[in-house]
Amino acid sequence: MQKRSLLLILIALMVIGVIGVGTEKLVVYTYSSFASWGAAPFIEEAFEKKHDVDVQFVATGDARMMLTKLLTEQEAGRPGADVFIGVGSVDLSMARGEGLFVPLTGEDIPNLTSVREDLLIDPTNSLIPYEHSYITLVYDSQVLAVEDIPLTFEQLLDPKYKKMLILEDPRTSSVGLAFLLWTIHQYGDPGYLDYWRKLLPNVLTITQGWSAAYDLFLAREAPIVVSFSTDTAYSVIEEGSTRYKIMLLNSQGYRSIYLMGIVKGTKQQGLCKELLDFVLSSEVQEMISTTEWMFPANRETLLPVLFYQNAVFPPDPVMIPAERIGGNLDRWLLEWAGVIVGG
Amino acid sequence: MWEARIKRFGRAALIAAPLAFLVLIFYYPLLRLFQEGVVQEGHLTLKYIGGVFAEPYFRHVILFTAEQALLSTLLAMIIGLPWAYIFTRYQFPLKETLRSLTIVPFVLPSITVAVGFILFFGNNGHLNQLLMGLFGLKGPPLRLLYSLKGIVLAHAFYNAPIITRMVHAQWERLNPAYEESAQALGAGRIRRFFEVTLPLLLPGLMTGAALAFIFCFLSFPIVLALGGARFSTIEVEIYTQFIVLYQHKLGAALAIIQIALSLLFTYGYILLEGRFTREVEVTYSRSTVPLLRRFTLGKGIVWLFIGISGLLFLGPMASVFYDSITREWAGRTVFTLHWYSYIFQSQYEALIGAAPLRSVVNSLQLGLSAMGLASLVGLPIAFVIARYRFRGRRLFDTLVMASLGVSSVALGAALLSAFLRPPLELGSGWLAIVLAHSILAYPFVIRAVVPVLEGLKQGLVEAARSLGATRLQAFRDIELPLIRRGLLVGAIFAFAISLGEMSATIMLAQPGLKTMPLVVNDLRAARSFGGASAMSSLLILVTAGAFVIIERFGERLFGGTRWSR
Repeated sequence: MQKRSLLLILIALMVIGVIGVGTEKLVVYTYSSFASWGAAPFIEEAFEKKHDVDVQFVATGDARMMLTKLLTEQEAGRPGADVFIGVGSVDLSMARGEGLFVPLTGEDIPNLTSVREDLLIDPTNSLIPYEHSYITLVYDSQVLAVEDIPLTFEQLLDPKYKKMLILEDPRTSSVGLAFLLWTIHQYGDPGYLDYWRKLLPNVLTITQGWSAAYDLFLAREAPIVVSFSTDTAYSVIEEGSTRYKIMLLNSQGYRSIYLMGIVKGTKQQGLCKELLDFVLSSEVQEMISTTEWMFPANRETLLPVLFYQNAVFPPDPVMIPAERIGGNLDRWLLEWAGVIVGG
Repeated sequence: MWEARIKRFGRAALIAAPLAFLVLIFYYPLLRLFQEGVVQEGHLTLKYIGGVFAEPYFRHVILFTAEQALLSTLLAMIIGLPWAYIFTRYQFPLKETLRSLTIVPFVLPSITVAVGFILFFGNNGHLNQLLMGLFGLKGPPLRLLYSLKGIVLAHAFYNAPIITRMVHAQWERLNPAYEESAQALGAGRIRRFFEVTLPLLLPGLMTGAALAFIFCFLSFPIVLALGGARFSTIEVEIYTQFIVLYQHKLGAALAIIQIALSLLFTYGYILLEGRFTREVEVTYSRSTVPLLRRFTLGKGIVWLFIGISGLLFLGPMASVFYDSITREWAGRTVFTLHWYSYIFQSQYEALIGAAPLRSVVNSLQLGLSAMGLASLVGLPIAFVIARYRFRGRRLFDTLVMASLGVSSVALGAALLSAFLRPPLELGSGWLAIVLAHSILAYPFVIRAVVPVLEGLKQGLVEAARSLGATRLQAFRDIELPLIRRGLLVGAIFAFAISLGEMSATIMLAQPGLKTMPLVVNDLRAARSFGGASAMSSLLILVTAGAFVIIERFGERLFGGTRWSR
């Protein structure tokens, strides 16, 4: 008797997960934080009110995992998405190399005219920006006083910062890759390898991704982490604290631009264009700052006062063009790993 | 005559069905992916595989991967074996529950374990702060993390439970008569253990050690999170090639090398397993000693060991729980239920079909289905390996273990790609994930059952058959009850694998199909570290509960009424 009822419970549990299927669908691949806690819920609700379509955000992993999924699906001739939101500028060469997205013009996306021009990094405009940020160092002001912090890449090598730095692995993290590219921008190729060799004694550890690094930082394992220049705004608004501050090396920040595009082969190009235009509208762009903790791409967007006051714009943003990254990335990563492991 | 033919046909089908399943769902997709690493423009080439070995950096990574796996396995044995002894030898309150719970560490997402280790064992962690407070030290006395020590410790956290469960399953069935005769012949306690008990336990111990080794060999987030700058495994490189650079050729070459090394190791282990397994008398009851009454020096040592190893297991988990009920506000740590209200809300459900709590149901459903399928596939194969003698049996045994030694990133990519094309057009979603999880889980069923089955005296079955029982009856009434502990252990590991799996799940998931580990990942990416700890705590509670229930239910299901204790 008991055995049977337990079996019934098991079967019931397995049957519960029935998924309903809607009418016409617009599938958007994006990264998980955008879909769950970012602007996606708002976009979905507002867009479905305007148009007779079921917008479905699919975000089972981070942006790179989703891009890999889309590339694999496209190779099989069955792309699963109509729109992709979340190609990082460091991954631009990989996404464009496969001819994955539909080229766009200002006529397709009227709001594109309000986008900051320095963000339009894809000459074919098949990937257009919706938000951006700067990779910088963030430090714990209770451990390092303002007068003690390094101001240049060279000062960061000072032995007094021994084991004080938490980095992300450029092979697995786009934040880590941005920092690696920043050092290549600063010291050239192969000069960056020498810089990394000297930097190693000051590194506590190199984590798989940004969240692992920031977690270590919050656990006070080390006082400096590679992160975003908007982190100060986050900790003021969400944690009521000015403890964590931005450190600008050489007054620079490595620019990170996040892009979106329409997947080739979609049957609903018109709706897709409307969706991208909607993401660039001030309605959605205003949400970007305090859900994504990034700067909106639309320059007419109003930022919340606390965000504006506390997020940092580096005076001298830098970036390596996608063309140069594309041809060198695998070699750079391998050489970098050789230094890290051997050093 | 006909009857015999039908029987033979039935038996063949019983064996052929799981093999056909494996060929279609596992070997075919994997070989499709692997051929990218050895074929260029229609010709076989060793360019990519040779290229890996020609690069000094890759050679270093391969050697380090093996080195850390070996050290981790040793520590896991040092911790796991005494626990198997404690469970076999002593009686104490809540023993059955505790035994069910030993498997919990095994399912935790590596990211949660890494966080727990950082919060507890970190330079600024609870343990160091406690020691600094107690002894008035200025700096942290224990610098365990961000080095090889951190990696090995975290791997022991994961893998000691495997050793404990595999050894205990065998020890508990070991007839005490062996040790008693040794005692009667005057062998001391230590000599008795090393010369009688340990050799009889070797198959279980080696099974556990082999599984632990392969796990550590494939490990990736733990190595990066707790080892740090100078440590990198083959799996990290595979991830880089497939996910970051989208270069399948070098990625496939690395994955081929990785699986070849795992299989080589598995083959060696299977050769040894055959040598060490012997037929033994099994028993249903071993006498146990109460741990709490009558204090002796021996029990004092046991208590000391429980205390120290308890720190290793409970410390990180308790730290995660503490993190889930605290919050930083204006520079102070305050207690809060904020994070729990955050994950218990249901407001996102309508929009993306993935409210945080929904993931609990998803994980349990996927886990139970994968457990069932893995048992159905694994049990007949285990039977073939243990009962039939044929040429190449060991090679066969090695090949069916292949899914254990394959990179989960590569497997995820292989399945996603294969499921998009005929003849396997399953697409993504629930079925695809269950299949992927079963593939990763069935080797545990095989490894848990084979040593027990091989150790069974064949005479028992023959006796039953000579008394008129059919082969099936003999299996049901004689073998199944005797191997139920092994089968149960295998099934529970299968469940655990499914609950903890991430790479393939990410590739194959559809909206609304988030599992608990995926939600932990999402919360962290969305800066909700407290929320991630709350979800991890929930994961610990839910899986702990599930293990206790499965184990109780399983005991009853397999135990039947025939052999009441």
